Amino acid sequence: MTKQETKGVQSHEATGPVALTSRHLLGIEGMSPIEIRSLLDRGHMFADNPHDGVSDALKGKTIINLFYENSTRTRVSFELAAKRLGGSVLNIAVAGSSVKKGETLLDTATTLNAMHPDILVIRHNCSGAALLLSQHVDSAVINAGDGRHEHPTQALLDALTICRRIGRIEGLKIAICGDIANSRVARSNIHLLGTLGAELRLVCPVTLLPANIGNMGVSVYTDFEAGIEGCDIVMMLRLQTERMAGTETPSQREYFNLFGLDSGKLMRAAPKALVMHPGPMNRGVEIDSATADDVEKSLIRTQVEMGVAARMACLEALVTRQT
Amino acid sequence: MTAIRFFDAHIIDPSQSIDGIGYLDVVDGVVDAIGLGTPLKTGKFEQVIDCKLSCLSPGLVDMRVQPADPGSEHLESLATLLAAAANGGITALACLPDTRPVIDEASAIDSLCLRASRIGGSRLYAYGAATKSLAGTEMAELGLMAEAGAIGFTNSTTSIDDSLIMRRLLAYSSMLDKPFIQHCEDHALTADSEMNEGETSTRLGLLGSPSEAEVIIIDRDLHLLRRTEARYHVAHISTRAGIEAVRQAKAEGLAVTADTSPPYFLLNELAISTYNTAFKLSPPLRSEDDRQAVIEGLADGAIDAISSDHMPVDRDAKMQPFGPAQPGASGVDTLLALSLTLVHQGHISMTRIIEALSLAPASILDTTGGTLSPGGAADFILFRPDSSWIIAGANFKSDSRITPFESHPVQGIVDATYVDGAAIFLRQ
Repeated sequence: MTKQETKGVQSHEATGPVALTSRHLLGIEGMSPIEIRSLLDRGHMFADNPHDGVSDALKGKTIINLFYENSTRTRVSFELAAKRLGGSVLNIAVAGSSVKKGETLLDTATTLNAMHPDILVIRHNCSGAALLLSQHVDSAVINAGDGRHEHPTQALLDALTICRRIGRIEGLKIAICGDIANSRVARSNIHLLGTLGAELRLVCPVTLLPANIGNMGVSVYTDFEAGIEGCDIVMMLRLQTERMAGTETPSQREYFNLFGLDSGKLMRAAPKALVMHPGPMNRGVEIDSATADDVEKSLIRTQVEMGVAARMACLEALVTRQT
Repeated sequence: MTAIRFFDAHIIDPSQSIDGIGYLDVVDGVVDAIGLGTPLKTGKFEQVIDCKLSCLSPGLVDMRVQPADPGSEHLESLATLLAAAANGGITALACLPDTRPVIDEASAIDSLCLRASRIGGSRLYAYGAATKSLAGTEMAELGLMAEAGAIGFTNSTTSIDDSLIMRRLLAYSSMLDKPFIQHCEDHALTADSEMNEGETSTRLGLLGSPSEAEVIIIDRDLHLLRRTEARYHVAHISTRAGIEAVRQAKAEGLAVTADTSPPYFLLNELAISTYNTAFKLSPPLRSEDDRQAVIEGLADGAIDAISSDHMPVDRDAKMQPFGPAQPGASGVDTLLALSLTLVHQGHISMTRIIEALSLAPASILDTTGGTLSPGGAADFILFRPDSSWIIAGANFKSDSRITPFESHPVQGIVDATYVDGAAIFLRQ
């Protein structure tokens, strides 16, 4: 399989647009390895050609970004991805919009639906919001993060990042570290990396561990250094500062001491271990700057770059299915 | 004098251990005679009704119904609630005090009961709020409400958090000889929670709260109960640990009772997998093991009664993502049919299910109904236990039409409901 994946990387230019079995991209859970691999292959092709005009799959298509949570990175990434494919993009930031005036998600959905967009990209603070939206609109829906549930394009860009650097996912030891309980990135990555055959470890304080997560094919560590021992990838998650005020963890200082990543702790990982973070980072909280900015070891900037490519693959796949 | 005879009925009256083909004579709204076989006594009857082997049992006594009226009449008026109850075979219902205004004083009890009696139909009883405005901090005028007819006290959909207030409430209700009905939930453990904690909550990314939130309150209350002579009732019990605590307390001889509701013995947390907010209830749907424990509890009597836990919810409050959606669902239209599922599945006998739906709640609340013994009020229903239908909220008599059992096939159709010997509902 390793060979196949490597081959996939090399022969990606030969692959065409992917057609998904689902009309929407709401989560990684339930996607087949074949679908995921073909999205990644297509993502490789876009990553190799990071400019406009590589495909006009979205020409004449309208994409609406509906963001109920602030996000610069993801929104810009989707916008750029859509524009590179020739699509028209409309951004709706919730602050200052009718949503702030009390309009419900479904009323907004009805309103936007009447304008016949082709794809709605939604980020919402409630788990299940993207599914709810998809049940009430005619367009395809991409989940750009719903509550604690899923963030499928983040997992795809993470996998693409890993594939481009290492060439495979299967058999890699990957540690996902930090606020697992509240992380949609963690859930999507558990599904995706697990589906593609990585050995997954979750490393976090026990107060940030969701119930029965062990049933999702992962092993759990509450000792940071033991958890990342021998890992090829150390993926750090953002910990919201309000969770470090004595509720989930005692203090920022204690959190960084026990669960923060620095170059010393990283020594415990595999010799060529790589560091990832979905951003935005809390420098000095979950990761120190020296590690985050280490061009040899940190994939964080590549992740952002791959975000556009991965999202181009997703947008293209959804319109391909529509036509 | 009005005399009516019902014959060739499958009489089920757990209070008298009657279960067989027989008859019922009603004179002036009171049960005159009941028995198996053909009636011996002859006499003049204004009406002689051939029941054609339909079941005839005491009417259902629904001990947990939240009226929306007064305060949220747009969700459901008292009249449609009573009509739906009659349609569902419910001859008596006990109303939670969480209306606007809150039923936390005698005049509110008076008002609700008086309005219900003007409308007519099923008997309506009211609980008094245990604390002023249901805030959980100051004891409401329990004594005056008892005089006005309150049948028990409860803080509705919240637990009494403060142990000292809880101790005093138990003591004070024992003085008034009224049961205390507790919704058992450790609110600190359930703060912000969206569903039961477990693998499903983890997969869905919904914030889970542990099922122990129920038994923690039950355990505390049972300790307090040992210091008083109170009667303590656990409402809509839903966890194995909670049921076991009640079972043990009963064995110890404490005056404790419990009820549950159909969602807790027919559904589990997996139903939430598509974030359908009709499944958002309080308490939340639990694990399959808890569901099994509820069935076991109903079978062995650890759980005494089944209530509808009827809760009108605004459709807009449900047309939301799962987290912010309001918990609750309609229940009076489907109480009998859903409960009979346990009989059809072979878990529980017909007499036990009828006991749990009528005799048990009537005894806990000390109300009329629950029995067809001679001399008592003729509150009963005729139903066909095997007739099937498919639940559709749109067809409910209740204005509250959100149900977690939408499209659910069930068996059991109520054909007639009688209160004081008069038909308050007859299926056309």
